[in-house]
Amino acid sequence: MIRLVRSEWTKLFTTRVWLGLLIGACLMVAGFSALIVGFAGAEQNGQPGLPAVGDPRFEHVAFAVSTNAIVLFLILGIIGMTQEYRHRTATPTFLTEPRRWRVVAAKLGGYALVAVPFAVLVLAVNVLVVTVYAGARGAAPSLSGENLRIVLTSGLVLVIYAVIGVGVGALLKNQVGAIVGALVYLFVVEGLVRSIPATSGAYKWMPGGAQEAMTATFQGPDLLEAWQGGLLLLGYGLLAAVLGTVLAVRRDVV
Amino acid sequence: MRCPPVARRGVPIPTASTVSGSPPPSGAVRLEVDGLSKSFGPVHAVSELSFTVEPGSVTGFLGPNGAGKTTTLRMVLGLMNPDAGTATFDGTPYAALPTPLRTVGAVLETAFHPARSGRNHLRVYCRAAGLPVSRADEVLVQVGLADAGNRRAGGYSLGMRQRLALATALLGDPAVLVLDEPANGLDPEGIQWLRGFLRHLAHEQGRTVLVSSHLLSEVEQTVDRVVIVGAGRLVREGSMEQLRSGADGAGTVLVRGPEMGRLAAVLSAAGTNVSQDDGVLTVTGSTPAEIGHRAFAAGIELHELRPRTSGLEEIYFQLTSGQEQFAAPPAGTTVAQEAAR
Repeated sequence: MIRLVRSEWTKLFTTRVWLGLLIGACLMVAGFSALIVGFAGAEQNGQPGLPAVGDPRFEHVAFAVSTNAIVLFLILGIIGMTQEYRHRTATPTFLTEPRRWRVVAAKLGGYALVAVPFAVLVLAVNVLVVTVYAGARGAAPSLSGENLRIVLTSGLVLVIYAVIGVGVGALLKNQVGAIVGALVYLFVVEGLVRSIPATSGAYKWMPGGAQEAMTATFQGPDLLEAWQGGLLLLGYGLLAAVLGTVLAVRRDVV
Repeated sequence: MRCPPVARRGVPIPTASTVSGSPPPSGAVRLEVDGLSKSFGPVHAVSELSFTVEPGSVTGFLGPNGAGKTTTLRMVLGLMNPDAGTATFDGTPYAALPTPLRTVGAVLETAFHPARSGRNHLRVYCRAAGLPVSRADEVLVQVGLADAGNRRAGGYSLGMRQRLALATALLGDPAVLVLDEPANGLDPEGIQWLRGFLRHLAHEQGRTVLVSSHLLSEVEQTVDRVVIVGAGRLVREGSMEQLRSGADGAGTVLVRGPEMGRLAAVLSAAGTNVSQDDGVLTVTGSTPAEIGHRAFAAGIELHELRPRTSGLEEIYFQLTSGQEQFAAPPAGTTVAQEAAR
């Protein structure tokens, strides 16, 4: 199994997809972190907007900004799985290891492990930007207590989304379809469900709701407890992994 | 003309029992296909197909497009689940082989990530199979791609892709090689190289080689045995000699010379069927020896006397085209499926 995981890492690091996604994630999180700090305490149409720098609620939201990068970690996992079908390398891959569940398991494990240093880097960018910028604006938040918990769970969320990506990729096989579907889901479907009163009750059971429950939210809907959200998100990751494995094993490779 | 290996190499064709001189590390392995069947909806892509591939020989797996060759190979290699039947390597199905890459090497399609270099492509599978990554460089040299190893596979020519696919199959130094249309995209020089390479692997190293093609002429000079399929069924299995002797040209002799009119009269008088066209005498129901003897006895000068053996391609065509016509609608569907891949 270790050799299969190493093979997955060789696949990942012998093309440049990982670099683009990682740089994209860092830039994205740096930008959103700066925006959050920049707009802290600002009024919105005469209403109070984000809490001011120094307010614990501001600090919680600012340290959860890393979770914006879930889309890129999701895509990392999706590409990791679907490239096998897109470039037809599924054939030599499954010839090398005919017990296909081991291949999918190696991808799930390999991408979860790779996502850890990637997530650490993204968290570091977030913490750095927030600490320096908020410090310049008067009150650098301390990286302890609830703040630290939010930073760490944000990293866990990123890792879980990479695993979900592998599972989604194994389910859908079509790379473009899987990525477009993931984008639509994250940016349209969850946003709609969250904001429409009739459906917002279901939001807490969705991956986005679980993620918000785990980290921090601002003016959000009803959510689960943090630990419940964590279990729920892990459950989604496992569900995608199991479904993806079962399908990859049963389907003919053509 | 096919050059027999015995004459060219000066050594007898190795068989499973005589390869002990330089056997592949994993030993000789026989591929046995037994009653393999697979349907796609109403289309019977492969129906109760059985054949064996022996070590120490190159076996051609022939049939027109859509005859079920690729589907068969994918079932043999555990990529597709057959509806019925088995395919085993010395009794073990592919999916149950403990070290598949060391037992069987396969080229099914030239599939690479275009942004990955040829060398890195090979290293991926070295890692997955637990082989030393130095094998990647060794097989690159073996297939003549050593200088292109660091280039992106997406920039390779079709011929280079075929060579890289072959290199992937050779990584584990396997006892069995299964190649699906490996000559596609190779230039004449490449095809000649491939012929020599496959014959070397089979005859001198005792490996089991199965190579598919839709053209008999493409593999005629390479293979020792043929398995011919049409519409998913076995049409003919046997040696090239057996296929030749079954050709329609058997018993037909072509004669050329300055006195063909006189020879025609002599042969007709002996009760042989003769037809003359453009100075060439076509004799049926006789042998070159008999005709030569009669010509010699009658003092007739001959310039050419040969059995008509060009019927090989014809018999292949007869064997397979009849099958295709018979199964035109389903066969057409299979072609579409193969094309859509």
